[in-house]
Amino acid sequence: MKQLLIVLEPVIWFMFGQGIMIGTILLTGWLIVVGVGVPMGIFPADALAYERMHMLGSNVIGRVVLLGLIVLPLWKGAHHLRSLAVDFGGGDRDAIVGSLLYLIAIVGSLLGIVAVIRL
Amino acid sequence: MSDVQIKKFVVTRFDPDKDEVPRTDTFEVPCQSDWMVLDALNFIKDQLDGSLSYRWSCRMAVCGSCGMNVDGAPTLTCKSPLSSYGDTVEVTPLSNFPVIRDLVVELDGFMEKLKAVKPWIIRAKEKAVEEGPYRQSPEELEDFKQFSLCINCMLCYAACPVVGNEPDFIGPAAIALGYRYNLDSRDEGASERNAIFRGEGSVYSCSFANECSEVCPENVDPAAAINQAKLSGLVDWAASLVLPRGGKD
Ligand code: FES
Repeated sequence: MKQLLIVLEPVIWFMFGQGIMIGTILLTGWLIVVGVGVPMGIFPADALAYERMHMLGSNVIGRVVLLGLIVLPLWKGAHHLRSLAVDFGGGDRDAIVGSLLYLIAIVGSLLGIVAVIRL
Repeated sequence: MSDVQIKKFVVTRFDPDKDEVPRTDTFEVPCQSDWMVLDALNFIKDQLDGSLSYRWSCRMAVCGSCGMNVDGAPTLTCKSPLSSYGDTVEVTPLSNFPVIRDLVVELDGFMEKLKAVKPWIIRAKEKAVEEGPYRQSPEELEDFKQFSLCINCMLCYAACPVVGNEPDFIGPAAIALGYRYNLDSRDEGASERNAIFRGEGSVYSCSFANECSEVCPENVDPAAAINQAKLSGLVDWAASLVLPRGGKD
């Protein structure tokens, strides 16, 4: 298992890195819109209306954005939790903890893909 | 004659023949205002206790041998003015290394890691002497010069939280010194080194705490080398999947 993680490390790091990008750029923007902009009336109240959101999910670019928003932060979270586990519990169980967390990210990513395709 | 100020030095002592665990000794040192931390240690050794062991050589931030933790921070003692410390200064050996005696740490592990990343020019085929030297433009030199300025002082290993947790991690200085050759226009061994960077103790263990670059006395910025090595390792790995001959030069 440890060997497999070492082999896959470049890809995991790539997904993690993209997750950080998405997490810091897109999700921050999302939180500003949802948490500040709309409640304070800076953006129109119907900015997040079902029809508009549905429109976002019904063209290819919108779907890719949504998929990125769903999938990449999962990898960021998994990798951060793995590092946290090493920081607190040492590296002895890193292979099993890491594999489990990435498995959750894989399952989440697949569910995300299915959900976005079915929009 | 510069001003003299008495400072207290709390220094870690460890004699493997006598001590089970490290202990501390305290020395009062009349420090001159222009002294570095190393000058105070030399005063202790010359005037107060000749048995104190520590490494130093050049006294001008070149040899990299005088690295120690001063007030808990990895420090090049010949480059750190005492004026920036308080009345009591704590000197301990660099963290993350086994201690041989007092302030002297064991560097064999690092030497093995350094050798593993092949810090030398690799050529698929050497040019014959008659064909002349390998020429390099100033711009090509600039590509890697910064990473070649490492003086192997080991401050980055002492500061790195990943080295502390995962002793197998190749570590900042060795990665910077290996990656420096990947950037060298005369070198053809990048794929070989990238495979090592991706292997056991890989560059991807780095969590980008950036502590290595913070403490580096030569501004080598090893964190930048590590992160460039991550990207180059990824590209090389992807190329090895799709290109013939595994993407080798
Ligand atoms: S004595 Fe050489 S670097 Fe400090």
